[in-house]
Amino acid sequence: MMAAGLLAMLAAAAADQTASRPASFSPGRLWDGKTPDFRGIWQVRDTPFANIEGHAAEKGIAASKSIVVDPPDGKIPYKPESLAKRQVNSRARATADPSLKCYQAGVPRATYLPTPLQILQSPGNFAIVYQENHAFRVFQPEGRPHFDNADWWMGDTRYRWEGETLVADVASLTDESWLDGAGNFHSTEVHIVERYRIIGVDSLEYEARIEDPVVYSRAWTLRTILHRVKQPGARIVEDECLEDTNGVRHHVSPSDPRNLLRSDYSRWKTPAAR
Amino acid sequence: MKTFLQIVRACAVVLVSTMLWAIVSGRSPRLLVAQVAPAGRTAPAAAVLRLPDGHPDLQGLWMKSAGGFQGLFIGSLDGTNLAAGGRGGRGDGRGTGGGPGGFAPPAYEYTPQAEAEKKDRVRRGYEDPEAHCHLPGVPRALDQPAGLYPVQIIQDEKYVALLHEAMHDVRIIPTDNSPHPKNYWAWDGDSRGRWEGDTLVVDVSNFNGRTWLDMAANFVDENEHVLERFTLVDAGTILYEATVTDPTVFIKPVQMRFTLKRVPPEQQMLEYSCLEGERSLQHYTDEDGGKKRREK
Repeated sequence: MMAAGLLAMLAAAAADQTASRPASFSPGRLWDGKTPDFRGIWQVRDTPFANIEGHAAEKGIAASKSIVVDPPDGKIPYKPESLAKRQVNSRARATADPSLKCYQAGVPRATYLPTPLQILQSPGNFAIVYQENHAFRVFQPEGRPHFDNADWWMGDTRYRWEGETLVADVASLTDESWLDGAGNFHSTEVHIVERYRIIGVDSLEYEARIEDPVVYSRAWTLRTILHRVKQPGARIVEDECLEDTNGVRHHVSPSDPRNLLRSDYSRWKTPAAR
Repeated sequence: MKTFLQIVRACAVVLVSTMLWAIVSGRSPRLLVAQVAPAGRTAPAAAVLRLPDGHPDLQGLWMKSAGGFQGLFIGSLDGTNLAAGGRGGRGDGRGTGGGPGGFAPPAYEYTPQAEAEKKDRVRRGYEDPEAHCHLPGVPRALDQPAGLYPVQIIQDEKYVALLHEAMHDVRIIPTDNSPHPKNYWAWDGDSRGRWEGDTLVVDVSNFNGRTWLDMAANFVDENEHVLERFTLVDAGTILYEATVTDPTVFIKPVQMRFTLKRVPPEQQMLEYSCLEGERSLQHYTDEDGGKKRREK
């Protein structure tokens, strides 16, 4: 748990960030007439999942600018020893990226994956379902402390409304997840304040203020936009990631029916196989 | 076999630690709006919370209380369930589907070919997909060991979403009675719901055929079809009923029913992580094949 003073400072800094930009759009309301309606399927269009500090184009991945908005240079303010660890991670990313092992992506990484998420909402309830590895987060109303000594992939989330903005306080995160595919990382001391805001009919702004005294020299902020997925009939599909017989992990669900027919579990019906 | 028993033991450790977590903190009470049933609707026995669209409000955190498919199964080489007090076992028979609540365990009538396959799978209990961290399928997603893993229900006029703590399994069920998709085969199949009076009826199809219904090797293939019924009996109880048909596996449909009880508001959903090949040996003692020395 962090000092109240630092919390207040953080909140003030985050508020400055938001205040500097127009906040004119007012989204629809849920049936209680009060709660801003965030429901829908959302997805980023740019590629911060590869490297939130920005990256050149790679095979199959378009180039992207940094989504780090504070500090202004777009770089994560690592402590020197942490920067060295990031470089180690980065060099080993082809095998060391936790997302290759089918782990849940963690916060904030799950938000800007190249797969959609769905916000489920009703008065008093807020949850996000991420397609990747069928991860989800049930946001708990603010008021009680976070779990101590928990190190969860998707953390423990408490939220409140600040006008049109949902502000979520996330802690109890494992240090095994990365922030992106480039090896950017945090420790178990990480504390994240997320701000979700609808800024247009089909645009959801996501901001995360990330504080971790073990890894960074100061708190920093990333911000990106999610777009509403408007394809008719769009929905979150099942995504199951598992290990094949060679120990390599793949996203294998929903299955290809051709694989189904070859599956061991269908062979019993063929008399010749018995 | 030794490895399988280690897996069972490892699971037990996970279960116990999850229960310990469940004791801790929770969330503040939610605002619930009771509404009068629309004219023409049969009044339910007890006052039931409703959404503005008139349908019962199934929302909240729920836990299976009793009944269901055969639960804990610790296999032996002759197929005996050691957990149910089989030969050499020390179980007390809990989790075998009977027990409190008065719900009879479901009866399975297999085709001869499927019966042979089932016997074979009993001997290969370690192949249970859930033991390899795969999604449990339907109805097993809800039919987890009683009193262990809650499910959070969030609902609006278009969806009823089930967020299961176990296996962090998610089912977002549209309530528009839309058709199933083509060329989609999934562990949890494809769920389409509709309201029949005050009961949510869910038609589940498009299974990938790899699902086991329980630890006792009861199974289905890709022809599985499930009709589920969720009925809010009172503010704290959902009656869950499922009819499982599979013409290539069962001679007649399998019926099951159990209740979900509302979890006290001071509790909340916790995180569940499961991954095949995930090694946590530093947490287990050397006796169990782990790296930790047993404390004397």
